[in-house]
Amino acid sequence: MFLKPNTPLAADIVGVEHINGLFSYALVLTRNRSEAEDLVQETYVRAIGAMGRLRPESNVKIWLFTILRNIWLNQLRQRRTAPQIVEMDVEGINVGIGTKTSDDDPYALYVSTLERNQVREAIDQLPADFREIILLREYEELSYQEIAAILDCPTGTVMSRLARARAKLRALLSAAWQTAVQSGKEVIE
Amino acid sequence: MNGHDEHRVNILLYLDNELRGQELEYLLAHLDNCADCRRLLEEERALSNLLHRTRPLYTAPEPLRARIAAAAGPPAAFGDKPKRKHEHLLRFGWRNAQCSGVRWMTLAAMIIVVVLGLTLVPTVVRHAEAATFIDTAVTTHRAYQENQVPLEIRSFAGKVPFQFRLPSSQSSPVGHPAYALSGARLVKFKNENAALVTYQMKAETISLLIASDESAVAAGGDEIRSGNLTFHYNTRAGLNVITWSTHGITYALVSSIHGSAQHSCLVCHQNMADQNVFK
Repeated sequence: MFLKPNTPLAADIVGVEHINGLFSYALVLTRNRSEAEDLVQETYVRAIGAMGRLRPESNVKIWLFTILRNIWLNQLRQRRTAPQIVEMDVEGINVGIGTKTSDDDPYALYVSTLERNQVREAIDQLPADFREIILLREYEELSYQEIAAILDCPTGTVMSRLARARAKLRALLSAAWQTAVQSGKEVIE
Repeated sequence: MNGHDEHRVNILLYLDNELRGQELEYLLAHLDNCADCRRLLEEERALSNLLHRTRPLYTAPEPLRARIAAAAGPPAAFGDKPKRKHEHLLRFGWRNAQCSGVRWMTLAAMIIVVVLGLTLVPTVVRHAEAATFIDTAVTTHRAYQENQVPLEIRSFAGKVPFQFRLPSSQSSPVGHPAYALSGARLVKFKNENAALVTYQMKAETISLLIASDESAVAAGGDEIRSGNLTFHYNTRAGLNVITWSTHGITYALVSSIHGSAQHSCLVCHQNMADQNVFK
């Protein structure tokens, strides 16, 4: 989304269009619900404060994601330690999903939810730089150039890191899937 | 780096429609002659499809959404100065110490209280009612498992304030039913008759508590919307509970099946015609 003159700017920024993506990104970075909420909150505070400096041609989505990441990196620096390993606090998170399926089959929807949980668990096992690149590319659909802008790295690095992240994620999901199928067969038999 | 690694990045670029010109032609020619890379392409495509099906990865909690929406205030035109009051409002809602003026603190506090009150109170009430229904479903499920609730009827016609129809079993192509109706009985929920239906599989029990949506609410948990239906997934003490409301009836499906979604559903559906729904 690009800003245009006379656009209702505050509504563009805080109109929650990107809040799910920002919250997901924050959760992927922090792996902690309250820290993620704090990070998103601070992102909007900074964004509103900087609205006057935003150029008309700016991409608001990239801008917001970059702000969030910079805040996170600053917080890490202030702690003067390596990123802490925090148990991911996913229980109790409102995970209203909004996914639509082709029918109203509750079993298919049940599968969809648990499939999502399986994907989340697999992503959670990835290193931080893999988690964020998967989120930015596969969930936020950002181009390699846009991701490179957020991560402040060359596009080639984005490509190679994404390839490695996907390979690792595929391996994790394959293992989880094999386990599920195997245990399912045991129950049936 | 082996030959496939060399092509891995280009395969991803191809999937993302970011490969152009000679590189695209080269990859397509290579795919024609390399079964390993074709398999890699399909695996990557399957992964992409899976990830896209699970969007969004997380949804922002309502209180956070409400705080930010409250801070948005009236639209501002491009080029306006930074909205300090919005900053104060957001910061106040999050960290009281960062508000500098007592007047703004009071105003911000009032706005937040009103907005959060209007937003959260109905939600909290609904979630409390939904939790009651889930608790009843879980308690009833356990009572049945411990043989404290005998199953005594097979028809609810005229006995409950709603009408419904359920399959008694679903046959598999190999000849025997994957699960079967094991019984049913009336139970009380908020002074109304509700229906308890149980299904038995080889190793697992599933119970379905059915009540009028005037007494039972489906809310909270992981939510999935599909058309006019919303399904709510919860876990209570090792039991999986899915609730939903439709046509004036609220359902709570309780099972103790362990493992993934595919596993849970394939227990019943593995040998059936609709198995592809779960794969």
